[in-house]
Formats: sequence, C-alpha cells, structure tokens
Amino acid sequence: MSKLLRRALKISIVPAILLIAGKFIGILCTSIIYNLNFQISNDLNGLFSVQIYYPDASTTLFVNSISNLVMVLFVALPLAYFIIKTTLYHTIAHNPRTIVKMTRFNMLKWITAKDTSFLTMFIWCAFLWIASGVTIAHTLQGSTYPWVGIVAGSLALIASLFTIKTFEIETDNIYPTEHKYY
Amino acid sequence: MPSQKAQKFKKVLSLVVEPIALGALALLFIIPTITVMNLSPITKKLQELNVLGANTQSTMSVTLVGGKHEVFTEENLNKDTDTTYSYSTKLNKRAADSYSKPVVEIKNNTDKAQKISFYGQTLNQTQSNIRIIADEKSYKIQDDKGQTFTQEITIAPSSKVVIFLSIENLTGIQFSEEFDMQIKVVENL
Repeated sequence: MSKLLRRALKISIVPAILLIAGKFIGILCTSIIYNLNFQISNDLNGLFSVQIYYPDASTTLFVNSISNLVMVLFVALPLAYFIIKTTLYHTIAHNPRTIVKMTRFNMLKWITAKDTSFLTMFIWCAFLWIASGVTIAHTLQGSTYPWVGIVAGSLALIASLFTIKTFEIETDNIYPTEHKYY
Repeated sequence: MPSQKAQKFKKVLSLVVEPIALGALALLFIIPTITVMNLSPITKKLQELNVLGANTQSTMSVTLVGGKHEVFTEENLNKDTDTTYSYSTKLNKRAADSYSKPVVEIKNNTDKAQKISFYGQTLNQTQSNIRIIADEKSYKIQDDKGQTFTQEITIAPSSKVVIFLSIENLTGIQFSEEFDMQIKVVENL
C-alpha cells in the first residue's frame, strides 16, 4: 500500500468522526437546552432506518439549522487551526518580526511542520465541503435557516482559498520559481 | 530464495490491499455524508408514550354487535374518520309492533368521559318511530312524521355501552327500507 494512501486514510478518520459527532451533538444539545420533545423511531423509507422526529415544522427547522451549524464548526475550527499554523510556519521563514510576536504571545510551540502539509489541509477541506454542501442543500430545501447556509458556504470558500495557497507553497518548495535560484 | 519469495508475497499483498484501502478511503467520505443526511430531523406527530415505553394513546371503539333478526338485516358499520362511524341496516317489512335489536357496542378506552352523537334517518317516510336505547334510556332519532333528531349520550371513562335500535310502527309496513345513522365522537369532557 502506498505511503500517500496510508496517510490519507489516517488523516480522514478524525474529520469523518467529527462530522457525524457534530451533527449528533448539535441535535442532542439543542433538544436538551431548549427542552424539546423528540422521538427516535424507525422509518424504512430512508437508507438507514433510524429517524429523529420533532412534533412541528418550526422546531425541526430550528434544530436542523443549529445542528448543521455545529457540524460545520466542528470541521471548520480544526481546519482554521491548521491554516493559522501553516501560515505562521511559512511566514516565519521570511519574516523575523513574526517570530518576535510569537515569542511575545508564547506561541513558539506552534512553529512545527506537523499538521501543515497540503494533504491534511486538503482532506479537512474536503470534509468541510461535504458539511457545507449538506447545509446548503438543506437551505435550498427550506429545512435550514438561510444565514446558516451562507455562513457554511463562506467558510468553505475561505478554507478552499487557503488550501490552494498551501498547495502553491508546497509546489513552490518542489519546483522553486526562477528568482529563488539567484 | 526465501527473501525473494517474501518480496513477491509483499508485492502481491500490496496489489490486493491497495484497492481495498482506496475503497475504505472512499467509504470514509461516503458514510459520514449519508449518516449526516439521514440524521437530519423530520417533522412527525409524536406518539404519546408512558414511562414503560408502551403506547397509552387510547381511543373510542365502535363495533358492530351483529346477530340475526327478522326486521334488522344487512347491518353495516364503517369507520369514516377517527371520530365518525356510519351505521346502516335494512328494515324489512313488518307487522304493526315494536322491535329492537342491539346494534353497536361503544367502548370508551380513554380516561375521560366522551360525548357521542347519533343522527339517523330512513330514505322514505314510513310512519315509524325510530329510537336508540342506551343504558335503558330511550332517545328519539326519527318520529312518525319523518322528522329527525340528533341525540347525544355520555360514556364514562373506561366503560362500554351497547346501543339498541328500536322501531315502532302502528300499522304494518309492506316494504323494506334503508336506515342510515351517523355515530360521532363529539368531544371528550
């Protein structure tokens, strides 16, 4: 088995679990905090038979919106951490002022090559696309608030831009541009 | 030689494992997507559950008593809605007299008293007095002039009442006729 495939498998497990956990915790916490009645029952119409039911449409809309937002944030926050870490890691090489600032904020531990690879960012970004895609689909179906769909779409777009930037930095390391030779 | 064999085995194994790993990677993306989509809540009227998880939703039940009678034949009871039933029977030709038969049994399985209304009539005017009898009380449904009356009875919680249909005519009736009656759960008290 290739090293790349093995690494991809290893990296994919955590965001996959977080995606499901985010949705589930979102539903559970919203129901507990707002004391909402819900029922878990069997419905043979879906791919999986287990379904969560709420008594009225407004409650369903509210719970679905919040759980979708929690799901997106569960994937987006670790990705944001990777983006910041990668940006800092690549910036310190050219900018000594960043090192000074990081020392002042006691963040020198962040300057490591760990979790700054394009593969990690790409996989996490792919899971954010999935989470955002599901949220946007629900928004278009009218089962999620529009602002949740907009937030999810914006986060996916920003994360994609940073992932592309990481890809450019990594390709730049492999195939340096001409001016770096001189 | 043994190392060559081991290398060959490793090569074959990697050829087998690689597609499986690719499939596993694809599944790692597909399964969460389907799960998340399926976890999305939907709206449905929730069932009332008691502490043991058994359904305690209780209803009224109306059942046909049945049996044979020379005047009341071809009885039929249909449930139109959750609260409305329609009863029909054929009233055969008969001599001047009073006849009665138990027609329906109404059970109140709820924990509240229920008010039930009855409204019935024959298609033709037959100069017969038609009544229902419940708990030995008589309620007029249609008088001999053809006028109809809506009657209401109250059924106590967790009890049942057998409704009798009674017909009285002072002259002999030489033809059959249809009688229809609507039984409706009006409200719980």
